Amino acid sequence: MIRSLLIANRGEIAVRIIRACKELGIRTIAVYSEADRKALHVKMADQAICIGPPPSKESYLNISNLISAALNSRADAIHPGVGFLSENAGFARKVQEAGLIWIGPDPDSIDMLGDKIRSKENATKYGVPCTPGIEGAVTNIDQTVEKVKKIGLPVIIKASAGGGGKGMRIVRKIEELADNIKIAANEAEKSFGDGTVFIEKYLEDAAHVELQMMGDKHGNVIYLGERDCSVQKNHQKLVEEAPSPLVTPEIRKKMGEDAVRLFKGIGYSGAGTIEFLFKDGQYYFMEVNSRIQVEHPVTEMVTGVDLIKEMIRVANGDTLSVKQEDIRIDSYAMEIRINAASPGTVKEYLPPSGFKVRVDSFLYNGYTVPPTYDSMVAKVIIGAPTRAEGINKMLAVLDEFHLEGVPTNLEMQKKIINTQIFRKGGFGTQVLDSIMKEIG
Amino acid sequence: MDTKDILAVIEKFNQTALAEFKYREGSVEFHLKRHADVVYTSAPATVSAPAAAHPVAAVPAPAASAPTGETINSPIVGTIYRTPAPDAPPFVEEGKMVKKGDTLCIIEAMKVMNELVAEFDCEILRVLVDNQHFVEYGTPLFEVRRK
Repeated sequence: MIRSLLIANRGEIAVRIIRACKELGIRTIAVYSEADRKALHVKMADQAICIGPPPSKESYLNISNLISAALNSRADAIHPGVGFLSENAGFARKVQEAGLIWIGPDPDSIDMLGDKIRSKENATKYGVPCTPGIEGAVTNIDQTVEKVKKIGLPVIIKASAGGGGKGMRIVRKIEELADNIKIAANEAEKSFGDGTVFIEKYLEDAAHVELQMMGDKHGNVIYLGERDCSVQKNHQKLVEEAPSPLVTPEIRKKMGEDAVRLFKGIGYSGAGTIEFLFKDGQYYFMEVNSRIQVEHPVTEMVTGVDLIKEMIRVANGDTLSVKQEDIRIDSYAMEIRINAASPGTVKEYLPPSGFKVRVDSFLYNGYTVPPTYDSMVAKVIIGAPTRAEGINKMLAVLDEFHLEGVPTNLEMQKKIINTQIFRKGGFGTQVLDSIMKEIG
Repeated sequence: MDTKDILAVIEKFNQTALAEFKYREGSVEFHLKRHADVVYTSAPATVSAPAAAHPVAAVPAPAASAPTGETINSPIVGTIYRTPAPDAPPFVEEGKMVKKGDTLCIIEAMKVMNELVAEFDCEILRVLVDNQHFVEYGTPLFEVRRK
C-alpha cells in the first residue's frame, strides 16, 4: 500500500507528481539539489530533503542519496519522473532491493527495451513492423558496407544505447559510410559508455508518431492513442499533438494491437511509449521509452485518463481503472513547450487559463531559473473539438501567457503553429526547415 | 495493532537498511534492533567531509541554535552514528581535539557504513546532531575551530 512517495526529480514533472499524490491522499517527499532550495516542488511537498550539490551527477543521479532519503523519510515508493534515472534498470532494482515500490515497469522490462538492438529484436518477435535495416550490431565494417549496398542508401547509423541524437549519423554516399560508422561509434562510446551501433534504412522526412501505452501487473495492457511530435529541433520536441493528422482510426487500431501484443509479450506494467516512424501510411517501430513522457498531458487531455495516478495505482498492484473500449479519441489536444533561452529571475508571471487550458510549470514570481538543468520552464496544453480550432485556441492562449524576466521561445512557438505548413498538417520531422523558410 | 500488523512491520523492517526501530502507540510498544555485529562489521568506506565554510542556513539543523563558526557538514544523505558500536563511547565529544584523518562519525547509507574523517586538525566545539539521526546532504554535523 503506497501511503508516502518520494519524487526523484525536479521541475514541472515533480510538481505534476506531487499534485497526483495529493489527490490520492499520499504523503509526498521532495528531493532537491543545493541549486533548487527555492524550487516549487520543494515548497509543495510535505517533506523535502537536500540530496547534493547542483551538478545532477552528484544529486538527482546520486542513487545512494536518493534511496537513503527515501528510507529515512519512510517513503513507500519512488517515482522517477522523466529523464535522470527514469529509465535506469539498475536504479529500479536498487529501489526494489531496499524494499521500496518502484513506480515504473519492472527492471527486466526496462532492460529488454532500453537497448535499441534488443528492443528491435523484441518488436520483431511480437510482429511489430520495424524499419528495414541490417540485423544486429555493426561488427565488421567491410561486411557492413557490402550489406548497405544491398539495402540501398540513404541509411542511418544509430547508437544502441542512444538517445537525443547522439551517435546518430545519416549517410547518403557509400564512400562516407565507413568513416561515419567510426565517428558514430566514438560519439556513442563517449556519451553512453557503449560504442555499439547499428544501421537502418533512413526514411526521408518521416513523421514521429508515438503511442501511449499503459499496463498493470495482472496482464492487462491498453493503448491510449498516439501523439504526433514531428515538430523538432535537433531531435528535441517543440510541439506535440493528438491525434496525428496522418493516423486514421484503422491504422490506429492496427498499430495499437501490435503494440499491445509486444507489451503483453514482455509482461510490461506501468506507463510506456512506443515511438514509430510514419511514412506513406506505414508505421515502423523505432524505440520504447519505458517511463512517463514530458508530452503525456496531450494524451490526458484527449482521453481524460490521469496517467500519473494510473502509474501509481498499477505500481500498487491495482488493475487498470480503464479498459480499451473506454478510450475514445474524438477531440484534439496540443502541447507547446516553453523553453528558457537563458537563466533569469521571474519578475512577473501570469499563466493563461480557461476551458481545457492547462499549464504545467514550476515558475512563480521571484523564482530564479538556475542554469544547471533542462531549459523547459512550462508546458501549455489545450483541448479543442478539432485541430483547426485547437490551433486558434493555442494562439489565443499563448497571447495570454505573460512572463517577464526570463527570455523564452514563446514568440517563435506562436509563429511556428501559425504557418500554413503547420496548419495544413501531415508533415515529417524535417518540417521545421520548411516552417522557418515560411516565417522568413 | 494486532499480531499480523506487527509481523508485517518486522517484515518491512527486514527489507530496509534501518539498524533500529522503536514504535509506541497507546499501550503498544515494541523495539526492533538488528544484531549489532551485522550492522557494524561491514567494511567502512571512507568519505571525506567538505570543509564547508559557506553558510548553510537553509538546512534545518536539529541543534538548538544555529552554529556561528566553521562547520563540518554531511557529504551524503544517511543516518549518523556517533559511536563505533551501540554501547561504545562516541568517536568525538565536544571539546575534543582531532587530527586530520581521525574518524568523526559513521554515516550509514544503503547498508554501507561510511566513516567520516576530519580533513584538518581541529577542536570539536559543538556536536550539532544526535546519534542515529537522519542527515541530508550539507547538514552541519560539528562546529569546529581549526588548529
